[in-house]
Amino acid sequence: MKRRTLLAAGASAALGACAGAERGVPLWFSYGGKNREALLALVAAFNAEQPEHRLAPVYQGDYFELLAKLRTALHAGRAPAVTHVVAEILPYLVKADVLEPLTKLPGLDRDFGFVPGLTQNGAFAGGSERPVYALPFNRSTPIAYINGSIAKELGLSPPQTWDELEAFARAATRGAGGDKRYGFSCPIDWWFWVALVAQAGGDIVDAEGRFSLGGDAGRDALAFLQRLVHQAEVMRPPSGRDYNAWQVQNQEFIAGRVAMIWNSTAFVRYLEDNAKFPVLCAPLPKRDRHGVPTGGTMFVMPKGSPAAWVEAGARFLAFMSRPETSNEFATKTGYIPVTTSGVKLLEGAGYYQKKPNDRVALDQLEDVRPWPWHPELFRVQREVVQSRLEACVLSKEDPATTLQGARRAIELGP
Amino acid sequence: MRPRNRLHPLLMLAPTLAIIGLFFLYPLVVAARDSLYRWDLLTEPEYVGTTNYTRLWQSGELTGVVGRTLTFGLVVVVASTALGLALAIALNRPGKLYAFFRGAIFSAYVVSWVAVALLWMWILDPDAGVVTRAFRALGLPTMSWLGDPRSALYAIAFVTVWKITGYAMVVYLAGLQSVPASLFEAAALDGAGPLRRFIYITWPSLRPTTAFVASTGLIMSFQAFDVVRVMTQGGPVRSTTLFVYAIYEEIFVNLRVGRASALVVVFFFILILLTLLNLWAFRQSGGLADRAPKRERAEGAA
Repeated sequence: MKRRTLLAAGASAALGACAGAERGVPLWFSYGGKNREALLALVAAFNAEQPEHRLAPVYQGDYFELLAKLRTALHAGRAPAVTHVVAEILPYLVKADVLEPLTKLPGLDRDFGFVPGLTQNGAFAGGSERPVYALPFNRSTPIAYINGSIAKELGLSPPQTWDELEAFARAATRGAGGDKRYGFSCPIDWWFWVALVAQAGGDIVDAEGRFSLGGDAGRDALAFLQRLVHQAEVMRPPSGRDYNAWQVQNQEFIAGRVAMIWNSTAFVRYLEDNAKFPVLCAPLPKRDRHGVPTGGTMFVMPKGSPAAWVEAGARFLAFMSRPETSNEFATKTGYIPVTTSGVKLLEGAGYYQKKPNDRVALDQLEDVRPWPWHPELFRVQREVVQSRLEACVLSKEDPATTLQGARRAIELGP
Repeated sequence: MRPRNRLHPLLMLAPTLAIIGLFFLYPLVVAARDSLYRWDLLTEPEYVGTTNYTRLWQSGELTGVVGRTLTFGLVVVVASTALGLALAIALNRPGKLYAFFRGAIFSAYVVSWVAVALLWMWILDPDAGVVTRAFRALGLPTMSWLGDPRSALYAIAFVTVWKITGYAMVVYLAGLQSVPASLFEAAALDGAGPLRRFIYITWPSLRPTTAFVASTGLIMSFQAFDVVRVMTQGGPVRSTTLFVYAIYEEIFVNLRVGRASALVVVFFFILILLTLLNLWAFRQSGGLADRAPKRERAEGAA
């Protein structure tokens, strides 16, 4: 109890400091740049639209920094009214019983017509077997970004298969040493590895719900990355970890030091606006089949908020689930519009003819492999797999040994 | 001097003891207790005895973290102490130019870690960084200093040395200025050259200073967090996951309060060991412990 009181005091102080001068119902958000600008503009529009509730957005770092703070605040009973979390942690938060079931809240007990693959029910195998705890916000899939000038100069088309990807990367790699231009780059990251596993015909859990980590497909995915990095020498893993690596890679792409990258559709607008060459987006290639995971985050409302906060939070989520609002966020960033009627609005307005890059992730939803609804999913991602992927690819460890070690660590438990 | 009341010394010490107790001892006791539980902040804690310690040991995490931190500390202490001493000797001269250099070198120490880390990330950028460009201009091979597991730890150790060497230099300057000039003059008259004067006068006189500089450097290197968080986030391949960063990662990334607390307890005992080592080194070098007998001898002679 004493510890809880101390944490509560600390969290209150931190919350107060973070909220700064603006007071209101706290909305914790992560990520900066265009995403931040777009979200803040929508919060301002919500605050201007109705006089009853004032939402106070508080920036909390990247997705994982926000999660760290959220867990501390939840424990201390000082969580915000609304926040958004990566999908993989949702089963754990639900098991911990810290989230409000959203469909029981006034204004949220109706069908918003969300794009099916982006919802809790569609993004998770088994997501529909429980109340809805999360609504889609900034949802994405990984896509390929290609330097249009290099592709045109070399007569290269977007790769459709792993073999074509390697051939593209070999053809686009130029020079040596510090001046070398790499044909391909991709963060050594769980999300992209899961995509490769799906493309190699595997899934991270088996039919019984155990973490198989793709079996042979998981091994092949790592071996493919190893070959591109060490044997073909056409891929440079970006330096840094987590989202640092994603940002580093974007900078290298913009600077023309990499011909093709894999990254989230979240960066479509950013890369288009900052690159001095045409940016071509393409779906990820296949080996045995096409396959991608969904990414980005979903809105959740932590339990324990005052009634006024809950009401404000529910109204805000209803506001963000309108087709026009969702489209506003999507078109300013590159994320997928989350409602089917929103997609139809954009199609009707000829948006995708003008911005074909925005369409890639949307079309790729046909190939989405849902996440397993497993409370251990986030731990498996962050603690067990993520660090091992980096070690395996950079240190040339045998992929089968790496995954065997990972499966053993999962069996040992937390 | 005897206190008028036996409680007076305790009363004087009470505020400090209260602060130490509240902010240092109590959290340590809490950490020791939490290290016996499996707990993720949100679900109920589960008592697991010494499992967190055995897992740390069996997984190799503990040896890895201790090994990396000791390597980092050794590089930082040896390099910053040697450079600090060399710079102090070189710049222990009157004149505005020397004063400017002393100030310039010390200025790195007062800049925030985050600013220093960002600056060096730019300098060490594998494509456009100043270091990379210089290597290319000289025809030397370049590499991703922070992206290669073989070099990343040494790269952040280098940055740490760059930042704290100014501090070592200032402490050595104070030490040098306390050595009587008459000793150097007498040695010079006896025909001792600069090297001999350093070996027989400067170095013995600066041994307590060296013990102090080395100890504080070691403590600073064991506390390294900001530089790791900003420059490498513990990677690549955990090659820069030092002790404090490992604690942060366990609790805030891996949701393991128990495992993080076990690391805290181990870290505490390592620091106790280092403090004892520090005291021993200080006594061996003629620090505080040797002063009292000397004073007695001086009083006796009078």
